[in-house]
Amino acid sequence: MAELDLDDIQGLILRGYKMLTARHLILRIDDRDGFKSVLRGLATEEPGTGPSITVAADWNEKPPIGKKPAHCVNIGLTFQGLKALGVPKLESFPVDFVEGAVARAGKVGDTGPNAPENWKGELASPAVHVLLSVSAPDEAELDAVTGELRGLIADRGAATELSCHDGRGLEGDVAHFGYKDGLSQPTIEGAPMAGLVDPLSLAPAGQFVLGHPRIQHPDSFYPVPEPDQLGRNGSYAAFRILEQDVAGFERFLRESAPRVGMSEEMLAAKLCGRWRNGVPVVMSPETDSPDPPIPDDQLNNFDYVARDGGHGYDDRKGHRCPVGSHIRRGWPRSHRVAGGGGHRHRLVRRGLPYGPKYDPAAPDDRPERGLLGLFIGASLVDQFEFLMSEWVNDGIFAAGLGRTKDPILGSNDPADSRFVMPARDGPPAEITGFSQFVTTRGGAYCFLPSITALSYLAELPPA
Amino acid sequence: MSAQPGERDYDQAGGTAEPALPASPPVQNPLTLVMKIRSPEDYQQLNEMLLQIYSRPPTENDITVALNKIATVHFARFVFLENNTKLAVITTFDHDFERYIADFVDEIGHVFDMLLSHMEGAPPLPVRDHRQEFLEYVREHDMPAIQPFYSAYPTLTVLDILDAADPVSDVG
Repeated sequence: MAELDLDDIQGLILRGYKMLTARHLILRIDDRDGFKSVLRGLATEEPGTGPSITVAADWNEKPPIGKKPAHCVNIGLTFQGLKALGVPKLESFPVDFVEGAVARAGKVGDTGPNAPENWKGELASPAVHVLLSVSAPDEAELDAVTGELRGLIADRGAATELSCHDGRGLEGDVAHFGYKDGLSQPTIEGAPMAGLVDPLSLAPAGQFVLGHPRIQHPDSFYPVPEPDQLGRNGSYAAFRILEQDVAGFERFLRESAPRVGMSEEMLAAKLCGRWRNGVPVVMSPETDSPDPPIPDDQLNNFDYVARDGGHGYDDRKGHRCPVGSHIRRGWPRSHRVAGGGGHRHRLVRRGLPYGPKYDPAAPDDRPERGLLGLFIGASLVDQFEFLMSEWVNDGIFAAGLGRTKDPILGSNDPADSRFVMPARDGPPAEITGFSQFVTTRGGAYCFLPSITALSYLAELPPA
Repeated sequence: MSAQPGERDYDQAGGTAEPALPASPPVQNPLTLVMKIRSPEDYQQLNEMLLQIYSRPPTENDITVALNKIATVHFARFVFLENNTKLAVITTFDHDFERYIADFVDEIGHVFDMLLSHMEGAPPLPVRDHRQEFLEYVREHDMPAIQPFYSAYPTLTVLDILDAADPVSDVG
């Protein structure tokens, strides 16, 4: 069993905050020593030093006892950011992180309309050094905390805010496309329970926290950046701004459903792998309201293959839930996939919607809306990039998908897009010629340092 | 064999919304990894080790177990060359070796550790701790094939073929 120092590990890696609002500040470090002073304040909980980084420790055991914090603060540093701070031995960081989100855009489908030249908020600029994220239960608290942080940064002339991105949860914990979100997260060995129970094995901590054993071998680790106090208990995150074309998606459902003889909601469920109310299609292929109902705490307790002790469905062919559906691609569970699958390519997902809720009465009113997300793992190349390149934007990882992409998240082109819904009796239903519904509007690869690492960074020799 | 989605753009070319015959290269790729054995003693040890592994039942053969799990390798064989001074690992595998390198080193890295410990110019071991060096070694020692690489079924992966051969439909 992994021993995790939950007081040292940033909270967002291991637990969901379930707060209604979030704000992400994108910063360029202007004054190395000034920013180190900001980091010093963030690393300590001493009174009078301003907001502190939220750690993963169980909130029931951490002062103030029994209370969820009033807000959460987390920080990520890009490779350029670490350089700006004067970190020595930068060569001990992995090449994926060093190159960064812009240089590696082509590996994750960020091409064409998703390419960095179309990104907002200066996210394509090498001046992106820091992602400072605040979560709060309401805007007043969010404004108060970000105001305090902005003041601390400005007082020291430490950094310039390149852009600011606000997220706000929608009623019913749904994403803009209308699906209940956030139901599936890895259950990490030694960490607080972050999501709903599933029937699968625990994910090794080393897949999400550096310096701990990862998959397969007790002595197998992802390389820990040097020195140990900088790398250990850190992780990596791909920050993403994903614009969602809800009007386009609803129109697609309306036009396509009759062609395959399904209701719009049935098609929506087949595309996602969940009904919009969160009920997994593999558990209930015909209706979103099965009888008896599936309790909310059981909405992640399933597998696509039969399991001893239940919770599994022998759905190898995807007759219940299409193998190419969004959630089945994002986490194929025990379904047989190229490479052997398991926890090697899993992600922790933290996200909130941004922009106003879609109004079906005004489909042509298209303010920008989407998702602000952090996709977290101990290896960007094995987790975020692998998932995007192999599972989302290609299909040959699983039988029968050909070169198809995720119908909801994939960078689909009408010239060759295809979604197949196998049927138990008769030929599969198939939809072709659809566009992408999600456009990447920004990204950044960040290192999520531990509290020890923040103190280390704060004490680096002066410039 | 019922039509599987993965093969449709192959055998139904010219259908309404289907792309024409695949313009892209086969999903499979060849690997012809030729490694120089250090000494006649190393050859002896390698040969004994490989014979020993292959004398086990498939469920206890490390190589078979790993390749079954990875499920991207169509065929694999070991051949001693040039009077037993070289060992060739000859495979046909799906997609891109680098993309699946984490799966390879986790599942079959220990077999490569054993093989490479007898080779001249081997990368640092174990391979799972030296993934990049292992990749570079494989690239350097992969004998290039004359292009184009022929495949009788250019769109089908190992998993497509196994799935097509699987009579189980749905009992869920």
